Amino acid sequence: MRSRLRHLAGLAIIVAIIAGCGTASDQASKIALAALETRTPGTASSSPGSTTLCTSSLRPPATLPAPGKMPSGSFMAKIRKRGYLLAGVNAGLLDFGYFSPSTGQIEGFEIDLVREIAKAIFGNPNAYQPVALTVQQRIPSVQQGKVDIVVDAITMTCSRSKQVDFSTVYYDAKQRVLVPTNSPARSMGDLAHKKVCASASSTPVSVMQALPASERPVIVQEPQAVDCLVQMQEGQIDGISTDSSILLGFQAQDPNTMIVGPSLGDVPYGMAINKAHTDFVRFVNGVLAQLERDGTWQKLQEHWLGQFHQLEPPPKPEYEG
Amino acid sequence: MWVDQDLTIEGLGTGVAPARTRRRPGTPVGSALGWVRDRLATTPGRLVLVSILVVVGAVCFGAIATGAEQSRERAAKSASSQTEPLLSQAASLYTALSDANATEATALLSGGLEPPTKRARYLADIGIATNALSELTREAGTSASAPLDTIANQLPVYSGLVENARANSRQGFPIGAAYLRAAVVVSTTKMLPAADRVYRTEAQRLDDDYRTGTATSSLITFIAASVAALILLLVAQRYVARISRRILNIGMLVATVAVAAIAVWGVIGLTSEQNSLSTAQQHGSDAAEVPSAAAVLLSRAQGDLSLTLVNRGTDETDALDFMAVERALPPLTRELSVLSRRTGATAAANRFDADYASYQAKAAQIQGLQKSGNLKDALALEPATATISDRLSSDLGGQVGAAQRRFTRAAADATSSLDGLAFAIPVITVLAALAALLGLRQRINEYR
Repeated sequence: MRSRLRHLAGLAIIVAIIAGCGTASDQASKIALAALETRTPGTASSSPGSTTLCTSSLRPPATLPAPGKMPSGSFMAKIRKRGYLLAGVNAGLLDFGYFSPSTGQIEGFEIDLVREIAKAIFGNPNAYQPVALTVQQRIPSVQQGKVDIVVDAITMTCSRSKQVDFSTVYYDAKQRVLVPTNSPARSMGDLAHKKVCASASSTPVSVMQALPASERPVIVQEPQAVDCLVQMQEGQIDGISTDSSILLGFQAQDPNTMIVGPSLGDVPYGMAINKAHTDFVRFVNGVLAQLERDGTWQKLQEHWLGQFHQLEPPPKPEYEG
Repeated sequence: MWVDQDLTIEGLGTGVAPARTRRRPGTPVGSALGWVRDRLATTPGRLVLVSILVVVGAVCFGAIATGAEQSRERAAKSASSQTEPLLSQAASLYTALSDANATEATALLSGGLEPPTKRARYLADIGIATNALSELTREAGTSASAPLDTIANQLPVYSGLVENARANSRQGFPIGAAYLRAAVVVSTTKMLPAADRVYRTEAQRLDDDYRTGTATSSLITFIAASVAALILLLVAQRYVARISRRILNIGMLVATVAVAAIAVWGVIGLTSEQNSLSTAQQHGSDAAEVPSAAAVLLSRAQGDLSLTLVNRGTDETDALDFMAVERALPPLTRELSVLSRRTGATAAANRFDADYASYQAKAAQIQGLQKSGNLKDALALEPATATISDRLSSDLGGQVGAAQRRFTRAAADATSSLDGLAFAIPVITVLAALAALLGLRQRINEYR
């Protein structure tokens, strides 16, 4: 009797152990759930730095070398030997430098200036290769020699001119305000305590923050200026304040907007060149002076920016040394 | 204290006041004990006591065994007909929302004219998402209702932004990309985290069902109750044989055999249910969770890759996210290949691994071109990655489907393992008790 009971208990234990082996392990499920937890890494936000402007550049030579005949030993001769100009550009700024889905090319006012420089070196405006840059890449790519020149809406601040050489001003943008056409606002002053958008930690943000409290708008910051236009179309904000060059592009994309009020500040754009290539800086300044003299600059302005914009005379070059 | 004094039984006294713990005739407990003492004095009385013990034992066995069986059966049924189908809906929702982003980003790359296949796929994704959403809203408990509300509220906002992105892109406006970015932000900051919460809630509920449905404690409880019932019957028979000097009692024997039979049936049923449910988990739902997660991450990677190009290199977030996702994928692809090989799909696993390797190579090439600013060539290469990505995701979809079919089969085995037990345990227990009583009554009658 007792031994029978013992057998029965033994049997029960064996059954329990066998059954225990079947207990599910959820390792695969854990791996799946852990992988889904992957977070998007944060990007470092940049600050606008000092906004003091340094707008003078090196004096061009009295006469430019003829296309295809660059002085030996010059940086232009090096570019010519390579066969094309490497230019850092913007690909997202309508009418300035933007990738056109219909042509599959980056085009705009800035790109045409690059083409003019290529023409001056090679005699062929197509002898260039555009390199689409992020805002963060603009200065380092010149410093590291990845591109010969950057024509990408760079404001000529003094802190930047310590890192790269700038050409003379090729476009004198202004900080302006864009509002919907049905807005009663006619200047920044009318937008006091209203929501005005600008790209995060940009110069326009600092300019608005410096306004007296009674005129200061509620500042909305978006990653990029074009995100502000989305906010405006969605009725979330009352205005956008940034470079007129960018606002012109916005107007071209949304005819229900208008640029109002006086300039809130100068935003001069210069082409960035490595500090080691002063001969190239002088050459480019010579090309720019030529374009302004023969009316090419004005034609390009009219072609790209004339739609909504009162045409302006070319910026006056300031030379030093 | 005076209540205690009435209820306290000899031997169980508190020891505080021993004099008071003595049994006093006239109290209910006292009279019950007196009654037992009286029965113990005679052989028929002892037999009556044995009968009572057997009935009480049978009731206890029936209740405990049924409880153990019911806990398993409820969990197995819930897993097979409720929690797993909901998890599968949650996975569809998650995958579709993620795929919609990738599809639209890839579609917008082509500029104004998106390929009709991409448009169809985007619309299909939105359809799958809304179907899964309404299914989940109807069936899921309140635990997931907040994230489901979030998705229900944000989905129209999202699709509105996507349509704006399309309309603007058709005109070649860069704001189209900004609208897409806004849509993706709605998706990645609101809808996808909500879908993730729904998915995790449902995964947890299924996991709870698996835990209960495969709990060894239920089996041990069942075995312990059976062993105790059998011991009780055997001891009772031995006792009855000794006091009545008759070796065999047919009624008691029938009761013992019946209890032994239901015990064996129960152990076999519970063990096979446990094994089937484990199979359902390992080869079914777990095996579906891995390709589901891989599909979500792959479409996220493809979306990142396309978005980087849609943004024309003006934004770094997507490129960084792509790298993060690429780092998260290897454990999944390793597990996928383990799972595929386990189910004998070696050729499929090899093909998947090769496709994934070529996807990674092409993606790296695009990123290199993108980094060096060569947008044109990067764009030209993108359709190739989109094609491989499509192939990978349909492959993963196939794996999810196969795993779900395995789940359905194994879960059906698990529930059918317990078929009839819920009815048989109480009925046979009652019959066994009746047989034992009849057997004992026969002996008692011999003294009349």
